[in-house]
Amino acid sequence: MAKISREKVEVVIAGSGIAGSTMAAELGEAGFNVLVLEAGPERKLSEMISSQIWSRRLRWAGPEVQETGDLVGAANFAMGWGTGGAGLHWYANWYRLHPDDFRVRSQYGRSLDWPISYEELRPWYDHAQVYFGVSGGKNPSAPPGASYPMPAIPISSQSAAIKRGFDAEGLTLTSNTLAVNSVPYDGRAGCILDGWCDAGCPIGALANPLVLQWPRAKRAGVKLRHNAYVTRIETDPSGSRATGVVYIDENGQENFQPADVVIAACHTIWNARLLLLSSNDKYPDGLGNSSGTLGHYFTSHALTTIHGLFKQETEPHTGVTGANTLCLDGYDKKQPAKDAFGSRAWLVAQAAKPNDLLGTALAKPELFGDALNNYLHRASSHYGNMTVLCEEDAIPENRVALDPSKRDRYGLPQARVINSLPQENVARSELAKSEGLRIFKAAGTREAWAGPRAPMHMIGGTIMGSDPTTSVTNSFGQIHEVENVFVAGASLFPTPGAINPTATLAALVFRTADFIRTNRSSLLP
Amino acid sequence: MMSRRRFVTRMIRASIWTSIFVRILSRNAQAKIVEQTSYKQFTHGEADALAAWCDVIVSGARNAGVAKFVDQNLSGDQASSLLLLRYLNANDMVGFYRKGIIGIDAESHHRFGASFLQLKKSQQNEMIAAAVASKMQVWRDPDPNFFYFISRSDAVDVVYGTEAGFADLGIPYLAHILPPKPW
Ligand SMILES: Cc1cc2nc3c(=O)[nH]c(=O)nc-3n(C[C@H](O)[C@H](O)[C@H](O)COP(=O)(O)OP(=O)(O)OC[C@H]3O[C@@H](n4cnc5c(N)ncnc54)[C@H](O)[C@@H]3O)c2cc1C
Ligand code: SF4
Repeated sequence: MAKISREKVEVVIAGSGIAGSTMAAELGEAGFNVLVLEAGPERKLSEMISSQIWSRRLRWAGPEVQETGDLVGAANFAMGWGTGGAGLHWYANWYRLHPDDFRVRSQYGRSLDWPISYEELRPWYDHAQVYFGVSGGKNPSAPPGASYPMPAIPISSQSAAIKRGFDAEGLTLTSNTLAVNSVPYDGRAGCILDGWCDAGCPIGALANPLVLQWPRAKRAGVKLRHNAYVTRIETDPSGSRATGVVYIDENGQENFQPADVVIAACHTIWNARLLLLSSNDKYPDGLGNSSGTLGHYFTSHALTTIHGLFKQETEPHTGVTGANTLCLDGYDKKQPAKDAFGSRAWLVAQAAKPNDLLGTALAKPELFGDALNNYLHRASSHYGNMTVLCEEDAIPENRVALDPSKRDRYGLPQARVINSLPQENVARSELAKSEGLRIFKAAGTREAWAGPRAPMHMIGGTIMGSDPTTSVTNSFGQIHEVENVFVAGASLFPTPGAINPTATLAALVFRTADFIRTNRSSLLP
Repeated sequence: MMSRRRFVTRMIRASIWTSIFVRILSRNAQAKIVEQTSYKQFTHGEADALAAWCDVIVSGARNAGVAKFVDQNLSGDQASSLLLLRYLNANDMVGFYRKGIIGIDAESHHRFGASFLQLKKSQQNEMIAAAVASKMQVWRDPDPNFFYFISRSDAVDVVYGTEAGFADLGIPYLAHILPPKPW
């Protein structure tokens, strides 16, 4: 069947999540004619139903991912599908990478360096926290930056119970930094601490693209087309410029969307896959892959949750799903012991409902029958938790690849993610687990236990770098070989640090949007 | 692999008559609910087995409609499914449950010479404990421990994950938008 050819736009963006929608709003407001192609359906605030059961409808329902290795297994949990992507059910923990995270290779002789320093990104972090609306207090262990536009959310009973353990261990527990309104902000309501963030925040206290970026983008004339799965980026015969993208619409029909600038903002796995799928005579191994690094240096965070039952009431169903408090003490000590490597951060006192992956019931999966019932009745008022994120080294073996032997629903080679945690990061994660159990014991828990190590966040695969022979894009996410193709999202990060990625992702989007704005005349022919 | 499959088939065939007979006898008040329920994916036998299994894990799961919950959410597309399984293995969700239910009965016939529904409470508990400890003797696919994890989550969903379940646990529901129905 012949492709339907669409009217040309200046900028086409694949993906309407936090990366795509922020970029769309920024470029739309700068006067570009922007179209966003979103693979999933249209989403509305009314779909953010306060139920861990119903919230599953907001999750990934796109092509399957094959996952292998010892730090994989929840890709479908980590991705969004439809307007706003995972931005509809993210937890809004908002952190900056630390200066050393940008230079791990030069400081420690392992993992990678970024092509930019913390200082270069710092003003964009400052800008992003005002745009998203971040609440938080001073934290001497956090990197320097402007103060947050809102005060921190109050300390919860769960945090108060756990804090005794941090005090006993000589560690500082601070208020958390969150893209959640502690007070009304920018026309959006303040948080009422009901603990439903994982199911979406329809009142907009938590910055989500339906209340933040999309209203701005739409006012600026940005167009959004749903059920449009982008399958490849086309270039001209010389291979020096992209001419647009091919996408499959809801009728299974192929369309060609011409554009002057193409931006991939599909989330980590799909950014790498889209470039791999865009191979042609000029780029037989994929667009942006002259270095052979496309897909490689995938990283995650090794997460371990410490659970406990406290003597005092903790009201675990209240607060935010993200975390109420935070401990960054010791984050910069990347070599905490011989043969152990990586930073770690404690995210403390997440609101928990009884069911779903992060619910109180699954915190003790071995219990059933009366034992489960008794535990749940106690946990409902006395449960506490905290999660440690540990750094994973960027190594080429961990990667996103295509599996030509298996096809997805679009007839495309399936995506494979291969990720195993390097041994010294395993040792780091084990140290953190022991530390967490000590903290919970010192906090006076009746019972404390650790969950299994699990992956959290998907990062890398289209890494940025100054050297075109060792990276996919430059520091603006512009792929080295084709100047009018950009990538947006955490797939650009050469290293993951040990903190959630979205503040950094957003800072980079603002920086790239500024670059595109400034270079408008050379990018638009 | 072949021998395991043969073994499972043999056990099912050998027990089929006793199984039918006892099932007729054991259709009690709970089974009545099931009889009135129509399933889209499961046979009544499969639904009964899954409900019984889940009811041992979470007391009240059968009456809360766990089999219907799973069946209903296997019948639409992945995008509209309310099952936790969609996060972890969305490739063949129907096959996952169906094979799991076959596994339950194959294991129960192997251990006790009867279907799971016909076992004494202590035997049913022993089966669940074996799934928790990854100590099933003949049931291999899907991984019984993972099947336990998923079916336990389904049972927890219908018993504790609803407004009524929260109330039972003494947790205020505090919804922004109430679910149109429990599931
Ligand atoms: C439960 C959960 C909690 C989280 N909490 C935090 C947190 O507290 N702090 C933090 O920093 N981060 C958090 N994250 C991560 C955060 O959500 C992501 O970093 C962020 O949403 C990534 O944005 P994105 O735009 O790159 O990707 P997404 O939000 O996933 O959006 C990508 C979009 O692209 C679409 N798409 C994919 N492929 C194609 C294609 N080929 N063509 C067209 N469209 C396509 C998808 O449908 C999707 O809508 C959390 C994530 C989850 C799932
Ligand atoms: S806890 Fe706050 S941010 Fe989370 S859903 Fe409720 S109001 Fe929104």
